[in-house]
Amino acid sequence: MTTLLEPGQIPQASGEPPRVLTPDAKDVFAHRARRFVQLAEGHPLGDYLRFMSRLAQAQQQALDALPAVPVPDDEAKSQSSQHGMPLVPAQSWPRDPVWRAALSIILCEAAPAASETAAASIKAVGAIDDTALEGLAERVLRTELYGEHADKLPFVAAALQVYWTKLAVQLGAAAIAPLDVPGVCPCCGALPSVSVIGASPEVPGLRYLHCSLCNTEWHMTRAQCTACDAAESSVAYRHIEGDKGLVQAETCDVCKSYLKIVRRDKDASADPVADDLATLALDILVDESGYSRSGPNLLLVPGGG
Amino acid sequence: MQVTRRQFFKICSAGLGGSSIAMLGYSPTAALAEVREFKLARATETRNMCPYCSVSCGVLAYSIGDKSKNAKAEIIHIEGDPDNPVNRGTLCPKGAGLLDMVHSPNRLKYPEVREPGSNEWKRISWDEAIARITKHMKADRDANFIEKNAEGTTVNRWNTFGFLASSAAANEPGYLTSKILRGLGVVALDTQARI
Repeated sequence: MTTLLEPGQIPQASGEPPRVLTPDAKDVFAHRARRFVQLAEGHPLGDYLRFMSRLAQAQQQALDALPAVPVPDDEAKSQSSQHGMPLVPAQSWPRDPVWRAALSIILCEAAPAASETAAASIKAVGAIDDTALEGLAERVLRTELYGEHADKLPFVAAALQVYWTKLAVQLGAAAIAPLDVPGVCPCCGALPSVSVIGASPEVPGLRYLHCSLCNTEWHMTRAQCTACDAAESSVAYRHIEGDKGLVQAETCDVCKSYLKIVRRDKDASADPVADDLATLALDILVDESGYSRSGPNLLLVPGGG
Repeated sequence: MQVTRRQFFKICSAGLGGSSIAMLGYSPTAALAEVREFKLARATETRNMCPYCSVSCGVLAYSIGDKSKNAKAEIIHIEGDPDNPVNRGTLCPKGAGLLDMVHSPNRLKYPEVREPGSNEWKRISWDEAIARITKHMKADRDANFIEKNAEGTTVNRWNTFGFLASSAAANEPGYLTSKILRGLGVVALDTQARI
């Protein structure tokens, strides 16, 4: 006997891939910590990467310990989506002082692994009063990663990442609508630190931008400049000759900027932040070719500014 | 906005000495020395459409070689375009073998003609090819065009000519193909996209 299927009975094909992915609260920083350790092996900045691993581990501990934080109510959410604005903008969302509690945990957990100099910086950050800390937080959130306190900003940034990651997790991907501007995070409005290919298991080759602050990832068409939307004909991919091309720099000849692209489809253990900090040689070479980096890695104050 | 921000994300060898890496007591010297041994490789990704069938899957073609430096560009890899809503990054076995078609020694890359009585293919220019085809079409149409059928009804048919259109054509070329050929009276019009 033949059965006729009614509309809606036919199962949907894999369908539309997710536009926004929120971080996995249980593992986001722990995964990063494991990746830092892997990358440190035989790396000329191995000691630094091992310390960053401990910092990422400390971020995970701080995130695990963080209680639920206030998020925008439904009215605020609908207002944001109506105006195409991020839900918890890095520069204007009234951040909960609880981020400073996260900072304390991070400082405490990272200290045992620190070099002598780093231990002194950790101690110095611990001694800063709340008002001054909020001042440093403002600088991180405005991505003013230069000038004084280069050794302190990464810790402040680490704590802010924990707090904003918590916000992203609590809001959930369903609540975060894509913005009409592809270059900033739909959750917090921060710039992306890198792009990732292979972030969504549904469609393995898609490109997502990875938020430098809240670890949210949002979809953007491949082979297109992330800073100025220039088409594929102006975009090229550069990697260090002889490596597997796991991390490439997507350079744009229209706006002369670049953003790294981490090919998680080539190695599933790759992490946007860890692999970025382990491939600074690529940044240096691409910089020498005349391109400027369009998104920050908040854990790094690059110096020279 | 970006112009003022941009310089601050600059990661360069001159800056690393004052970077948070150095300030936290980790020397960037070895890393900077290593950079001098590296060279950059360049690749591009170009969107295209699989030419084989009516599904018209999107593909991404990867090539190496720097066009601006006169180096010979070469396609090194072709895969499904994950952003294309038709195939979402997938390809059938035939499409997955596209790279072999691109590099096949048997692939036709330019117009060729085998003159009547000759057994050799001769390379000709595109202009020459188009002019020859046009002349053949005109001669055939003049000889075989049917303006009215047996009952005297106007039919304007050109039955002795057929046309196979590309499967990779978008709506607009498809519209133009149809309008031009039907305007000439062509009846046998088909497209590779139907196969």
